[in-house]
Formats: sequence, C-alpha cells, structure tokens
Amino acid sequence: MHNLLWLQGASCGGDTISFLNSEQPSALSSFDVLNINLLWHPFLSREQGDAVLNIFESILAGRTKLDILILEGAIPNGPDNTGKFFMFHNRPFREWLADFCKHAGMVMAVGTCAAFGGVVTGHENINEMSGLQFLHNQKSGLLGADYVSKNGLPVVNVPGCPSHPDWIVETMTAVLKGWLKMEDLDEFHRPKVFFSKLAHHGCPRNEYYEFKASAIRYSQQGCLFEFLGCKGTLCESDCNERLWLGRTGSCTRGGFPCIACTSPLFPDRQRPYFSTRKIGDVPVTLPLDVPKAWFVGISGMSKLACPERLKKNAVSSKWIS
Amino acid sequence: MPTLIAIDPFNRIEGDLRIEIEVEENTVHSAKSSGIMFRGFERIMSGRSPLDALVITPRICGICSGSHGVAAAKALAVAQGAEMPDNGFYMKNLILGIEVVMSHLSHFYLLFAPDLTNKRYSNLSTYDTVKHRFTAMSGSSVVLALKARQSALEIMGLVGGKWPNSLAIHPSGTTSTMNLSTLTRAIGILKEFHDFLEKRFLGCPLNEWLDIDSFDKLLKWKGNNTHSDSDLGLFLTMCLDAGLDRIGKGPNRYISYGAYDLPNGTTWLPAGYFDGRMHPFDQALIKEHIGSSFFRDAVEARHPLDGVTTPLADKSGAYSWAKAPRYDGKTIEVGPLARMIIADDPLLTDMMRQMDSSVMTRMFARLREMCRLTNEMSGWLEKINPSEPFYVSPSSRFSSNGIGLTEAARGSLGHWMKISSNLIDNYQVVTPSAWNMSPRDENGQPGPVEQALAGIHVADVNDPVEVNHIIRSFDPCMSCTVH
Repeated sequence: MHNLLWLQGASCGGDTISFLNSEQPSALSSFDVLNINLLWHPFLSREQGDAVLNIFESILAGRTKLDILILEGAIPNGPDNTGKFFMFHNRPFREWLADFCKHAGMVMAVGTCAAFGGVVTGHENINEMSGLQFLHNQKSGLLGADYVSKNGLPVVNVPGCPSHPDWIVETMTAVLKGWLKMEDLDEFHRPKVFFSKLAHHGCPRNEYYEFKASAIRYSQQGCLFEFLGCKGTLCESDCNERLWLGRTGSCTRGGFPCIACTSPLFPDRQRPYFSTRKIGDVPVTLPLDVPKAWFVGISGMSKLACPERLKKNAVSSKWIS
Repeated sequence: MPTLIAIDPFNRIEGDLRIEIEVEENTVHSAKSSGIMFRGFERIMSGRSPLDALVITPRICGICSGSHGVAAAKALAVAQGAEMPDNGFYMKNLILGIEVVMSHLSHFYLLFAPDLTNKRYSNLSTYDTVKHRFTAMSGSSVVLALKARQSALEIMGLVGGKWPNSLAIHPSGTTSTMNLSTLTRAIGILKEFHDFLEKRFLGCPLNEWLDIDSFDKLLKWKGNNTHSDSDLGLFLTMCLDAGLDRIGKGPNRYISYGAYDLPNGTTWLPAGYFDGRMHPFDQALIKEHIGSSFFRDAVEARHPLDGVTTPLADKSGAYSWAKAPRYDGKTIEVGPLARMIIADDPLLTDMMRQMDSSVMTRMFARLREMCRLTNEMSGWLEKINPSEPFYVSPSSRFSSNGIGLTEAARGSLGHWMKISSNLIDNYQVVTPSAWNMSPRDENGQPGPVEQALAGIHVADVNDPVEVNHIIRSFDPCMSCTVH
C-alpha cells in the first residue's frame, strides 16, 4: 500500500477538478489499481478539523509513512516573506509543507502553480508566490535547488493550468512502479513523455499552418498562429494528441489560442494572449526549434502554394468546399 | 462559560475555511467564518490589457472557471460595446449550464452527502442504505455520479474545447463552433445524463419531477417505492428524519443577478432582490466592507468599482481574508435558493412557505435547479444553428468601465473593471461565497453563515454534524472568496 497525501496551497482546486475528469482509470479507480491509500485530500476526504491534524502529526512523527506528497496550488510566501498569506492552524502553510517534504518518498507538483508559481505570480509576483522547487524557470522555489525526496528525485513537476488528468495519473503510475528516473525529466523537472511534445502536434489546423492559411478572427477554421496569438508551436505539452474531456476537445479545437500554460513563465511571458506580436511580418513566437530565416523562406513559399480550398475555409466558420 | 471550538481545516468544500464556534450547554452562541488565505488576483489585474481578464480571472476558481469567464466577457462587452450573435448566447449558456449542473452534482455526492453517513444517524431506518450509497469516495451512488459527471463533461469539450479554464467565451461570441457531428454527439451525451438523473437520482422521468409544484405533491411523490428508493427520495426521507428542515435558517434576504442571457434581451433566470417582497436589483447598492477583514483602506466600505485591495496580515480584530459584501448595508444569501425564490419556482416557493429557509430547502433548491437546468440545456442545444455565425469582430477600443454580472453555481458573481487608456486600472471581483461566508462588517453584523450557525443546538460538541450540514448547505467556495 502506498500512502498519498494531497495538499492545496494558493490553489483554485482546478487540478483536483481535472483529476476527477480522469477516464481510464477513473480518479477513484486509480487509487485502487495503483494500490494507493489516500491519507487525506482536502476536497474528497471525510476527515476534517482535528482529525486532519492527527493525520498530519502522525506523518511528521514518523508513525505514518508518506510515500507520495502531491501539492496543487502555489506557495504563499508573502507578505514580506513571512508566509502569513496562508496560515494553516496558526502556522504558515509553507512551513507545514517543508516539513512534509522531508518525510516524503516522492513529491509531485501538480499544476503550473505548484510547479512554477503559475497564474498567481502575475504582475511581477506582487503577491510573493512560488512553486515547490521552482519560481518560474529558476530553482528558487520553497525547497531550493538541492532538494531531493527520499527516493532521490527532485520534485516532479506536472504543470498545466489545469494539469491533464492523464498526466497526473500516469506520473503517479511511473513513480510508484519505480519507472521514473532523473533522465526522464526535462530541465524543468517535467516528465519528458508528456512535455517534450508541442501543443501544435496533432492540431487539426496543421494543414492551414503549413500553407499559412490563417484565421483573421475567432470561430474561423484557419490557423490561429499568424494573427490570433496561438502559442501552440512553443507550448510543451501533448494536448492536441491526447485531447481533453473524453478526447472531445483541446484549446485550438475550441477555437481559441494555446496560451502555453505548461510553461514555467506562465502567465506573463505569453502576452498578448489574443493577438500575435510580430517584427515586420514575422511572428516573434516562432516554433521552438525552427531557424528564423528558414521559417521566413518556407512561409513565403507555402503561402504562394496555398490551395484555394484552404484559403476559403481558413476564414470561414464552416466547411465550404 | 462558553467553550471555543475551532474546526480547522473545515474541508470537503472548495478551498480553505476555518470555522470557530462558541458553545455553551450545547448551544452555539456565535460563529466566525475565516477565509485563511490571500491569493491576490485583483492586484495581478491592474495595468493589463482588458482582454487578459478572460485568461486570468477564470483561474480564480477550478470549479467555476466558466462563470468567471462569463462575468469577465460580460464586463468586457460593456466596455467595448460588443454584441453577440444568437449562437453565442446558446453556446455561452451551455458552458455555464454544464458547469453549474456538474458543480451541483459533485456538491451533493462528494461534499454534502458524506455527512449523512455520520454515526449520529445510525438509529434511523435509512442508515444502512445511506451509508452504502453515500460514503465518501466509495459509496455506490458516489461512484456512479462521478462516472456520470465525467461522461457529461464531454459536452464541455465539444462546446468549450477544454475545462477548467476554457477561453471559448468572448464578449462578442464564442471562438468555438458546432457542426452536425458535434451537435449530434452533444445531444446524445446530454440524453445519457438525463437517463442517469431519471434512473438513479429521481427514479422517475425528469418531467414528472419538474411538474411537482408543492411540498404536498413532493411528499406524495415519495409515496411511490421507486421514487423513495431513488437517491433524491432517500435524501428526502433522511432530511425529514434527521430534522434538516429545522436548521440552517439564513438571513431571508436574497439576491440574484439573473443569468443565462437570451438573444431577445431577457434572461432564463431573472434578476431581483427579495426580502419577503420582490424588488428590482440595483448593483449600485453593493458595498464591500473590510471591518473584520485583513485589508487596509481609509474607508470601511466601498462600491466594487472603487474597491481597494491592500492586504494587511497583522490587522487587529480582523479574522478573514474575505471582504464582507452587503446590499444596502444588509447581509444577503445568494445561491440556488435565492435564484429559485426569485424565479418563483413553485415547489421552492411552497417549501419556503411551509418550512422557511433551512438546510433542506437550500439543498432542494440546488437539486431542483440541477434538474431544471439539465432540461433547459436540451432546448439551447436545439437552437444552435451551425450555418449562422458564432462570433463577430468586436471593437478594439474599450471606451467605458465594465460591469459583468452573472450567476455561478454558488450564487451571484460580479466583475467590476475600471479602464483607462485601454488598460485595466482597477479590477474587483465579488464572489458568491464572499456574500454567504463573509465575516462581520464594521457594524459588527455577522455574515449569513455566521448568522445561520448562531443559536443552533449541537448534540455532540466533539462532532457537531449540524454545523457541517449548515455550512455545506451553502456550498462554500473559499478559493473564490479569497481571490
């Protein structure tokens, strides 16, 4: 049996809600099939008040083994680095968290907030929030660069705003089966298996992208990259291959731009969200590993080669021909 | 001497809550409701492009991100003078509707019902069945409801792309469109959810239950074995046996901002203020107080458009990170009960006459709304016309301030946006649970839940299940509250 404790910091609860959307296995079955004993979850568990404190104290006293700690939500450090923005039982929440991390076999930061600070670090982090091990792309989160949990791995980051339920369940699987090694994580400690892809991969607008047949306003079928702000070519995630909510949708399938919510620099570096910033005619958000000169050359050529069918459909909200 | 009892954390709600009650001889003298965290969304908003509100504000809440999206889009529509094509209205209503129905379903099965398995009720005839069905995370009905939720949310993928945090709703329509395939699929998914409600939750056709227009008819309905054996029938029996119709009286003043805008300029659920009589609702009468809240300001209360959010963690006498919204200086209950009363729902109006506001009426209002909304969504889905536009180009100029009012699952949600030179100057959010879970204002007037707890009898001070029922009947969302 593996003991799991799930905590929420400065959180919207959205990663829990997303976790509950898990399909195969469902969220509740995932505990069964992974042999997980849920010690406590703030949204799901029956225990409240002192009963929760008893669970916490038993972990900290070493009487209850803590195999996996999951944090969702950022860590409130303010005001003035006192941690008083979140007092949990008259003690800054971040102190509880740091103690739990000392006991944890494995620590997972679920969602961009717990991983990197996320949305609440907007506006130059005026609210003094951080992730568990990172703040944005630096290892200056609560636990610092050198932290490793008892099993020798750093905090495993499973970002996304929210995180995809598969990413959560599959990371738990890899961790508990002992499959996850340091070389399976990228430089931001995200499992490469999900985050070495781009949201662009599998996007149904890819043919439009190839020929630079672009939508000029939302609800049209063309590519959202040239004018409408899409960051799918920069966003490290497999969203458009994996799809969401019973494999029914994704951001670009819903007609809105990817905003690269899995990025350590979310939410401020992605602005403007709804239009594409350009230098001359060239978007500044070029695909991650395509050299600029080549991009410009290929784009010019492909625009000239664009079939009429694509040109028409790109600026229509329904299929024309 | 009264004893001070703290329930901290008060969880199995959304977000982080601390409840403190003062008890003497098993009677609660007074209560304090504390939002124990500051998140600072309003400060993140200033200086941003107005459209950023569509990205940032839904992330206030994981369970009602779509409602924040709707409120932000409505505020922006005012500021931009944007208009929406007909399809946009129905798509927006579907996204909001699914979110609210799923929230009510999760609230009942995941958050509220587990308290019914408390050992306090072991002498009731329904106890074994209740325990079998409603035990937290493993009850037979809980598991089925979660499965039904996950399947029904596939509609959200079709109309909203992803969820939580869809960006499909814009001031001038939806970025998402529907076609023959997605519409057909969505109709099928909704039908499947109807079937779940009928087979498991109601034990009868949805329409038959929606036709019940009085408490007497509800009791008669329960007389049928299939009905009484349904989850709702079981809950009805349990409510009456456990006395949930006699605890949890709210302030009996209610607001709804109105929601589910329709192309003809009306809303499916009407706006209003009800204090025994119906009045028009006027947002100018809202003020947020900070007397007991960890905020600093030169004045104690402001209208949200002029609201100020400056945290002060060491403020003496303060006990919550929630501000205290008041309407014309008064405490207000918002949520499904308010909406059903203001919409003049015959069953709830009659239940209010017969048993006043209580845990039971509040819960039945929520479940009633869940069924009514499920029914209404079929109609909206039928009205979508794939040949017509879903979105039109809005103006890129923001020429006035924006106010966006809507109804989230938990009640009235408002976004107030002050704009200068095409940038956000001030952004203030007043959430449903800020109304219901608010601390005292500077006049010492307790918030609605604090009032609802004062004076109640608790049989066992070490396990005050009455307190659990009352608080959870309001379905608090503290993530929203301490935005």
